[in-house]
Amino acid sequence: MALPVGIDFEFRKLIMDVHIGSDKIKYCYQCNRCTDNCPVASVANPFYENVFDPRLIVLGTLLGYKDVVMMLAGTKSAIIPWGCTVCDTCDTVCPQAIEVTEIIALAKNVTTGAGLAPDNIVAQAKTVFESGKAIPSQPAIERRREQLGLPGVVTPDVNEVQTLLKAVGADKKL
Amino acid sequence: MTEYKMFEGCTIGNRIPFIEAASRKVFDKIGVQTSQAPFACCPDPTGVKSFDNTTWLALGARNLCLAEAEGKDIISLCNGCANTLRGVQHQLKHDSNKKEAINKELAKIGKEYKGSIDVKHFVDVLLSKLNAIKGGITKQMSDLKVACHPGCHYMRPVEWMDSDDPLRPKNLKEIVAASGANVVDYEELGLCCGNAVAGPFPEHGDAILKQKLDSIKKAGANCIVVNCPACFQRLDGEQRNLSKKFESEYNIPVLYVTELLALAMGVNSEEIGLKNHRTRRNTAIENL
Ligand code: SF4
Ligand code: SF4
Repeated sequence: MALPVGIDFEFRKLIMDVHIGSDKIKYCYQCNRCTDNCPVASVANPFYENVFDPRLIVLGTLLGYKDVVMMLAGTKSAIIPWGCTVCDTCDTVCPQAIEVTEIIALAKNVTTGAGLAPDNIVAQAKTVFESGKAIPSQPAIERRREQLGLPGVVTPDVNEVQTLLKAVGADKKL
Repeated sequence: MTEYKMFEGCTIGNRIPFIEAASRKVFDKIGVQTSQAPFACCPDPTGVKSFDNTTWLALGARNLCLAEAEGKDIISLCNGCANTLRGVQHQLKHDSNKKEAINKELAKIGKEYKGSIDVKHFVDVLLSKLNAIKGGITKQMSDLKVACHPGCHYMRPVEWMDSDDPLRPKNLKEIVAASGANVVDYEELGLCCGNAVAGPFPEHGDAILKQKLDSIKKAGANCIVVNCPACFQRLDGEQRNLSKKFESEYNIPVLYVTELLALAMGVNSEEIGLKNHRTRRNTAIENL
C-alpha cells in the first residue's frame, strides 16, 4: 500500500466530531483489538488486495490522512471504507470506547458525496426517495398478504417524504 | 392493555410477509396489541445511514413523529428498523445541534420531533411476556436442537441497543428455551451474517456466513432461530449457494422466533406460509 502524504484538516475535524461532545477518539492507542475482532478483516486478509483494517482507519482519521481512510480514494466502492459490514463489534471490544463504526459510517458518507458509493447503496437510497420504502409494494406480495390474512401495508405520503429528503439535499446525491 | 404502533419494516411487509403473519398470531395469543401507521422506510442502518447520516436522521425522525402524534410506543419486527429508530433517538437526544437542524427540516412538512415515545424490539416485548408464552405452548418441542442467531443490530452498539449482552447474547435463547425446544450453544453466536458487506463484496460476505454455518453445524443443531429479516434472508436464502460454492452441505432449516412460537402454540404451518422458506423443513419441524 502506498503511504499517504496529504493531511486533510477539514476531514479530520469532521471525523473528530463523531463523538458528541467528547474527544475520546484521541485516546486510541492502536492496540488492534478492533481489527482482531472484525469479521471482515479476518476474511479479507486472505484476499490480499482487499485488506480491511479498522485500526488503520482510526489512525488515519486521527492524523487527518483522508487517503488512508479512503484507501482507494477516487475508486468506486473501495474496500476501505465500504468493506465494513456494520456489525458494531469493533466499538464493543474497544477498550477506549471509540465508536469505530460511526467513524467508518461518516467516511462512507464522504465517498457518497463524491459519487463513489457502491451501486447497491445508491440504488436503495433512490428507491426510498421514489417510493418512501426500500422495497416498494408489489401486487404478488399484496396477494400473498391477503392469503395470509394480513392487512394491507399502509403506504407513506410519498410527496411528504420527498419534500423532506429534498430539504436535506438527499436528491442531489442520488 | 398497551397498544403499540406496528413497524413491520420494508423487508417483512413487502417481501417476506409470512413472518408478519406468524408474529401477529403470536402477539394475539400472548396479548400484544398493535395498530398501523403510514411509516416510511426506517431507513436501513447499513444502507441509507452509510449513504448519508442526515438523510437517515430526517426520515427516521419523521417516522418517530407519526408515533409521537398518537402517543404510542413502536414495536419493531426487525433488527435494522429497531436499531435505526433507536439510533436516531440517540443522536437527537444527545446532540442538540442535530435536533435543532432536523426539526427545522421537519417543520417544512408540519412536524416536530420531541422524543416522547420509546421504540421496542419485539424480542424485548416477548421477553417481558415469558409466562404468557409458556402458558400458550401446546406442542412437544424436545426434538428441536436450536442454534440461536440474534444478529448484530439487536444487541450492538450498546449505546442504544442495551437490552442484552452485546457479545454473549442470551435473550433469544431464553425465549427459545421457554418454548420447550433445546438450545445448543455454538462458538460463533455473536458473529454477523455478513449481510451489509455481501452487497459490494459478496466474497467476503459468503466467507463470513460460511464461518457462522460451519460453527452451527459443528454444534449439531437441526434448526436455526433468528429475529431479523435481513439475517433470515441470508441464512435461509444462501445455504444452497454456499453448498455449491464450498462443496459442502448446508441444509439447516431457519425459523423466525415468532414462527417457532406459533408452531409451538399449535398454529398450522399453512396458516403462516412456512412453505415460502428456501431451506427445506426437516422431520423435527415437520412433526410439530
Ligand atoms: S480497539 Fe480502540 S483503542 Fe484499540 S486500536 Fe481499535 S480503536 Fe484504537
Ligand atoms: S463494524 Fe465494521 S469495522 Fe467494525 S468490526 Fe464490524 S465490520 Fe469490522
